[in-house]
Amino acid sequence: MQTKILLDEEQMPKKWYNVQADLASPLAPPLHPQTHKPIGPADLSAIFPMELIRQEVTTDRHIDIPEEVQDVLRLWRPSPLYRAHRLEKFLKTPAKIYYKWEGVSPAGSHKTNTSIPQAYYNMKAGIERIATETGAGQWGSAMSFATMLYDLECTVYMVRSSYTQKPYRKSMMHVWGAECIPSPSTKTNAGRSMLEKDPDTPGSLGMAISEAVEDAASHSNTNYALGSVLNHVCLHQTIIGLECREQLAMVDDYPDVVIGCVGGGSNFAGIGFPFAGDKLTGKHKDVDIIGAEPASCPTLTKGLFTYDLADEAGYTPLLKMFTLGHDFVPPSMHAGGLRYHGDSPIVSRLVHDGVMRAVSYHQSEVFDAAQTFARTEGIIVAPETSHAVKAAIDEALKCKKSGEDKTILFNCSGHGNFDMSAYDAFYAGELVDYEYPDALIRESLARIPKIS
Amino acid sequence: MKRIGFLINPVAGMGGAVGLKGTDGKTEEARRLGASPQAQFRAQITLAQFSRQTGLGFVTCSGSMGESALNEAGIRGIQVLYHYHDESSADDTRKAAQAFLKSGVDLILFCGGDGTARDIFDAVGRDVPILGIPAGVKMYSAVFAVDPATAAELVTRYDTTSLRDSEVMDVDEDAYRHGELKTRLYGIARTPVLAGKVQASKHVFEEGDEERAKKEIARFIREIMIPDVLYILGAGTTTESIARELGVNKTLLGVDAVQNGKIVALDLSEKALWALLEDGQEAKILLSPIGAQGFILGRGNQQISARIVRKVGIGNLIIVATPHKLRETPVLYVDSGDPSLDAAFGETMLVVSGYRMAQKKCIYQPEKRKKV
Repeated sequence: MQTKILLDEEQMPKKWYNVQADLASPLAPPLHPQTHKPIGPADLSAIFPMELIRQEVTTDRHIDIPEEVQDVLRLWRPSPLYRAHRLEKFLKTPAKIYYKWEGVSPAGSHKTNTSIPQAYYNMKAGIERIATETGAGQWGSAMSFATMLYDLECTVYMVRSSYTQKPYRKSMMHVWGAECIPSPSTKTNAGRSMLEKDPDTPGSLGMAISEAVEDAASHSNTNYALGSVLNHVCLHQTIIGLECREQLAMVDDYPDVVIGCVGGGSNFAGIGFPFAGDKLTGKHKDVDIIGAEPASCPTLTKGLFTYDLADEAGYTPLLKMFTLGHDFVPPSMHAGGLRYHGDSPIVSRLVHDGVMRAVSYHQSEVFDAAQTFARTEGIIVAPETSHAVKAAIDEALKCKKSGEDKTILFNCSGHGNFDMSAYDAFYAGELVDYEYPDALIRESLARIPKIS
Repeated sequence: MKRIGFLINPVAGMGGAVGLKGTDGKTEEARRLGASPQAQFRAQITLAQFSRQTGLGFVTCSGSMGESALNEAGIRGIQVLYHYHDESSADDTRKAAQAFLKSGVDLILFCGGDGTARDIFDAVGRDVPILGIPAGVKMYSAVFAVDPATAAELVTRYDTTSLRDSEVMDVDEDAYRHGELKTRLYGIARTPVLAGKVQASKHVFEEGDEERAKKEIARFIREIMIPDVLYILGAGTTTESIARELGVNKTLLGVDAVQNGKIVALDLSEKALWALLEDGQEAKILLSPIGAQGFILGRGNQQISARIVRKVGIGNLIIVATPHKLRETPVLYVDSGDPSLDAAFGETMLVVSGYRMAQKKCIYQPEKRKKV
């Protein structure tokens, strides 16, 4: 009875997979926030290195992972794939549950899969400093680790509610030599204007993005880095799904269901895109690819598929995506990494086209699932990851009802070792089941900038 | 055999539906405004559960203070210990309660409001447990069961209940009518409880971030208000903040109506509300759960009666409450006076708690009601 399915270091993928190559028609282009015309590489060059801009738009199917990046990834990759025997037994399900464990990275989550190449390409382009934002602190710590490796400076704008809720993420950033600032801050025009409007705001990812973008655009030695949403970020994460496909092949299996949690969409993209590619090219037409999102920020299940800004202040291009409106500030729930008003344009497109789908969950039910997981498999997952755990358990229980022995694969994207206060709140019965009041809101979504 | 002292305050609750916010000293005015006695009807919901119950013996007061209702419910072997003459008064309540105490009852079950609770407490203090069937206009005291059916359950399962201290609150009726909620602790009675089934004493929150939360809620509600729809605003400070956001003044404790950002009418009675809706006017009702008990309907908003809710449609109720208040009210209650309407609320409800944000809250549904 094999529990861990491991690849050798030489078997680590050498190329990322670009699902844009297999889309039936091109993605809708990003638009300039003022002119509403499609943006070109020059518009992005103020804040991104050229190689990342190329990766953002290319339709090449495979993109080489630079040797120097592979060297760093090998610190923890290939990551293990687990068969969740104990969880299956506990659920009494005929389903086979596999989880890809991304918590083995130094920063504790999948985020390092893209922070490393992003820092690398910036270093190659002669950039000296990175400005970025972080929600729950996962991305901020991953980027701090990556910039340290390539000798870059790093400033992280951390959403204020997380800054106070998760002090140890901040400490990690300090250990790796980065500067961490609660957002909104007084360092940027965007931050100052947000504080003026609302001095007590808990902050949001959208606000923090505005601050980091402004910082990068106003310093010539500084570029901006985003931890999710963008095409190149999703591209870097596909190493997760590519490894999974190899690992499952080693035990002669292929998933019927693939699951990831969704905030900006990168970890879901990472595990889902290689399988979405199989679906788009007709190799495996029936694979069910499910994104699990919070009911309080249900972008894919309740949002509109339209052009919207990626940030609060309006510095970023307009992206065609599922969105709840760029001025939406999700509540301060524990899965801070899923508090984003929009979603990756590629994930959005694939959900819109029915290649992938989404479900949403309340806070207390995902922690209940996380508890089940911890008490069977041992791993205490991050609150974000617990959404994927919940979806996997739900699917396994459906199989129990129907008697199907489906193969379920989910991305166990990160550990919750810095999230124990959230677990404490769960045990104290203090978790609030936030929900987006969808029916009441349709009118207010009409305020999104209208692009025909 | 458990001995239950049973009494009804026949005029309790009459002031509520006609907007008097209490019936003390206002019985005649309430009658003139068209109020009908509520307490007998409320008591019947409880008493109906006892008709086949053995092991309960009732002592009571004459006529509409208890005897008639027990007879109507088909309960036999009752003993009338106190007779009143003319219109019943607070003094009659006190004297009856003393008589019950002397005769050695195990529990005093009464049907009324805060005033009735206060009068009984005056007479018996902590010497005998008391339990209220909610029928008054204001029920801030913690001696009330959450609804008449639960009061019945507490009596029939008396042996499995425990006693707890329950606050008897004194509400200044004159201040209350002038838009000021002045409650003071009058005493600590003893009340039987099954976990989670007696009202926690209501309290008014005073916290800095409460104001911020109310503003967020108000900003959101203003954003989703639809032209020409009539918005009925229930009592309380959260709905008041919505009015403030719209730039109008509402009554703190009354039910008001706004349309297109302007006040249509203030401090509406049930009848006046009904009149506003009669021509098929599209409407939505904005309500905040009342105090720590978390009542959506049936406490403090009695003008919004069951027929008003049915006319507007349950789907057009928008419940608003600050996160802090929701933390204090793990479960919400509905006691509209119409159990089938209460059941139609189902087991969960969204409560708007911020800007474009809501919380999913459980609604308490007693076993009996679910079967309706």
